[in-house]
Amino acid sequence: MVNLTIDDKQVTVPKDATIYDAAKAAGIRIPILCHDKKLHPFGGCRMCLVEVEQMKGRQIPACTTPVTEGMIVRTSTPDIIQARKMVLELLLLKHPIDCPVCDAAGDCDLQNLTYEYKVNANRFTDEKFQHKIDYENPLIERDMNRCIHCGKCARICDEIVSYGAYSFLNRGLEAKIGTEFDGPLNCEFCGSCVSVCPVGALLSRPFKFKARWWALSKTKTVCSYCGTGCQLTLGIKDGKVLTTIYDENQGFHNGQLCTRGRWGYQFVNSDKRLTTPLIRKNGKLVQASWEEALSAVKERLFSAKTAGGESAACLVTPRLTNEELFVLKKLFNVALGSQNIDHSAGYAHNALSAGALESLGYAASPSTIADIQKTNLLLVVKSDAYETHPVLGFEINLGVKRKGVDLRVVSDKRGKLSRLPDATTYVHKPGSEVLLFNAMARVIIGENLVDAGASSISGLAELKNSLQGYAPEKVAEACGMSADEIIVLARDYAKAEKALIMLPLGLGYPGHGKDLAQALINLALLTGKIGKEGCGVLIMGEKNNSQGAVDMGVYPAKGGKDAVAILDGCAAGTVKTLYVVGENPVVSYPNRKAVEAALDKVEFLIVQDLFLTETAEKAHVVLPACSFAEKDGTFTSVGKVIQRVNRAIAPVGLSRSDFEILNALYAACANTQPYADVAAVFAEISENVPAYKGISYAGLGENGVIWPAGGTPRFVPAEGGAVQGESGKYALLTGSALNHCGTLSRFGEGPMYVCPAGYAELSYTDASALKVKNDDLLTLKSASGEVRLKAKVSARMPQGVIFAPYHFGEESVNTLTTGAPVTWVNVSK
Amino acid sequence: MSNAPAEQTPTEEIDLAAANHIIDKYLTLHGNLMPVLQGIQDEYGYVPKPTIDLVAERLNVYPSQIFGVLTFYAQFHLKPRGRYIIRVCVGTACHVQGASRIVETFFDKLHIGHAETSPDLRYTFEKVACLGACGMAPLAMVNDATYGSMTVQKVEQIIADYNQRPMKK
Ligand code: SF4
Ligand code: SF4
Ligand code: SF4
Ligand code: FES
Ligand code: FES
Repeated sequence: MVNLTIDDKQVTVPKDATIYDAAKAAGIRIPILCHDKKLHPFGGCRMCLVEVEQMKGRQIPACTTPVTEGMIVRTSTPDIIQARKMVLELLLLKHPIDCPVCDAAGDCDLQNLTYEYKVNANRFTDEKFQHKIDYENPLIERDMNRCIHCGKCARICDEIVSYGAYSFLNRGLEAKIGTEFDGPLNCEFCGSCVSVCPVGALLSRPFKFKARWWALSKTKTVCSYCGTGCQLTLGIKDGKVLTTIYDENQGFHNGQLCTRGRWGYQFVNSDKRLTTPLIRKNGKLVQASWEEALSAVKERLFSAKTAGGESAACLVTPRLTNEELFVLKKLFNVALGSQNIDHSAGYAHNALSAGALESLGYAASPSTIADIQKTNLLLVVKSDAYETHPVLGFEINLGVKRKGVDLRVVSDKRGKLSRLPDATTYVHKPGSEVLLFNAMARVIIGENLVDAGASSISGLAELKNSLQGYAPEKVAEACGMSADEIIVLARDYAKAEKALIMLPLGLGYPGHGKDLAQALINLALLTGKIGKEGCGVLIMGEKNNSQGAVDMGVYPAKGGKDAVAILDGCAAGTVKTLYVVGENPVVSYPNRKAVEAALDKVEFLIVQDLFLTETAEKAHVVLPACSFAEKDGTFTSVGKVIQRVNRAIAPVGLSRSDFEILNALYAACANTQPYADVAAVFAEISENVPAYKGISYAGLGENGVIWPAGGTPRFVPAEGGAVQGESGKYALLTGSALNHCGTLSRFGEGPMYVCPAGYAELSYTDASALKVKNDDLLTLKSASGEVRLKAKVSARMPQGVIFAPYHFGEESVNTLTTGAPVTWVNVSK
Repeated sequence: MSNAPAEQTPTEEIDLAAANHIIDKYLTLHGNLMPVLQGIQDEYGYVPKPTIDLVAERLNVYPSQIFGVLTFYAQFHLKPRGRYIIRVCVGTACHVQGASRIVETFFDKLHIGHAETSPDLRYTFEKVACLGACGMAPLAMVNDATYGSMTVQKVEQIIADYNQRPMKK
């Protein structure tokens, strides 16, 4: 620790602190323009000048100067004030000062400091910049005339996002921030650069001219897309969500968001929202009153109940809050007597609800998000972890670049993570993951790299036995890797002091289920890498409340039907009433034809959603539900974090929150009183769900609570066979596109601007063999169907492998798939 | 979907073999970006766009940063350069001696403006500041050859002369 004096105040700070940090710790504010706590110090703007007595009163930047013992600092002498004024005058020289039409006004550091330092005249004159404004993309407007060259955009895009879209171009007076070839911006559109730009040089176009900054009210809540659980601040005016607001102090991610979180909010106030209930009359869905719709639903549910409950079933999205899921489960299990309830077709929760539960004794990750930056070796299963959970991707970037984390990507294709400094990517054959991880386990056992503690975990002998057939030499070919690579990876993993495995889940990744999770947990258990900081397996649920849905037990138990059996039941006529809450099986479950046939067949289909989805179009009754912005409750994200979701606006149209609808149905069907409010349900959850014991709704606070995991681990052998290729066919892999999450992001304009439709990504080699170039239409044909998708040629795809995102309703890839990890397809032009 | 720009298809048709060779040579060298870019410029006479994408991909550097380097140093050119670089001084002494007429005559005869290259890649024309030989004002240079006391007639002679010269180095 170092002691120093700032403005006559004694301060003690760690020795790597800067004067700026020290002042901040002492509650003294030093103005900054180019400094950002998340970025490496830059020292470019000289706004933070201070005087240090030992340096004979020289003016030095506080943001880059480290503290030294006994330093005496003054932050606001008349000379300093003068110098800062001068900095501002020089910045204003070129700046257009068009505050009246600038969206940043009110949130602009330059404007605020100019006001604070009363710079009402300029001693200098100069010509203004004449840069062309970049309006080429629909999300980010770049007006370099307003740029003050703080470099924050270029630094954040490099240091945290690792995209590197910007650089300083030219030299001297001509210098400016630009992209490669000084062209229009075409990037990931995460918006990080917009969020840190201190002025109005980078602006959110969807928010342009929507509201003055000071007219917005703010509500803090949690993003409703992926399982990362990023905190959001919504900017609201006149009952509408107009933007997301950057708050550098929010959440583990310091306010960083991905393109979905930042720009996907538009679905909330989309004009496609359902605003009234609909009832099918004469084959057509027509508007109806809530009374009429609810009584039709109740009638069906009552008759199912009378018949014993088994004829009713439910498919629900893990986007609902814990409280909603809990009430829904009670509606089915308790009120109706049906165990037929499931979510995400099983594919997106099996790793947790079956894999982790059996292997660890609880259905969750043993690790937390904080472990990513604390580990030494990070083994990421599938490069897609960046696409499914982009802000966790930022955490990986930071771990690799700032903390020297050794990144190993084990994937069926390369990806953005592969480009990180010193990252090693092992490209294996599609669907061979379990083989590969079993072979690693065998190496660890064979080379005596097993941790001493492993012998006390039950099942070790069975595991050893089960691994007989997985010698690296034996599986190497089926994995498409060399035996040496497998051996080295196993050794490095075992020998690392701390190692963390990351496993993304999702409807697009049917191979990421029970066996894969168990093979990975076995590796961690064998090497003693569970239950320690920076260790374990981070199983990343796909949706905002995927972990919560598992915590609430929203998967079949006691002989209930799972999603596949429910749809089979619909087709066979044993399931007569299907209640679909927020799910869109027609697009997101495998085998579209079979799903559609089942839904067409079921006697009574109730769909509760925000939109008239492909599934809702088939319903007998459609109930309009609310978005996350219109509700209170909790989500549980990756790493078991329970966080509060806060209502920002009133329900759109006549829509009602899922909570309100389900609460009423539950009370009616169970013939009991409805819950008083969400908090009352949470109280019951904490009594009934052991993991949530002792946690109170009010006590969740701003950053939520991580529920404590405890269980008895054991080794469970994981089955992994070689995937048999089919000659002349391509291996089709489905998955997530960076800008999308499930099928909901299709209703956010932002993600749709950037990625409006599905595509088939293939290697240059395959493209030239097929004689296709970007955007040519390809026909993909599998045993179950055929779709036509635009080609996207990319260097990351191995030969013979095609990737297609699963989010889109038109030419949806689930027409081709049936739930196998790999689908073999014929491809033609 | 990784949207990395280096993974997009190149648009300009160019033989990348030489560029690949240059990259191979410096691949393991620490701080290899500058020598690679210089090598490419020497080889192609400028730094073609596809080579920037290639360097970005192979050295794992952002294309934007490469572009930043290329625009920072005056030695790099992003467009093909002429076989013969004509420079006309417009410094004070030359200006007083009528440099602007010389400039305009070149513009007229070659149909190219400042910092432009003729479509046949024979000439690149540049106006420059004082070349340090004010006694010979107005001054012009073609590659390394200096031409003093320029007149409109001399411009015509120079063009006629260089029109005959070979395009190969
Ligand atoms: S939006 Fe994101 S990826 Fe694009 S330039 Fe800004 S920080 Fe970089
Ligand atoms: S665009 Fe904004 S963030 Fe980037 S350098 Fe200019 S002022 Fe700074
Ligand atoms: S989609 Fe996921 S990563 Fe992106 S902001 Fe939302 S929670 Fe974060
Ligand atoms: S904030 Fe310190 S130099 Fe810019
Ligand atoms: S001004 Fe032309 S050579 Fe000096």
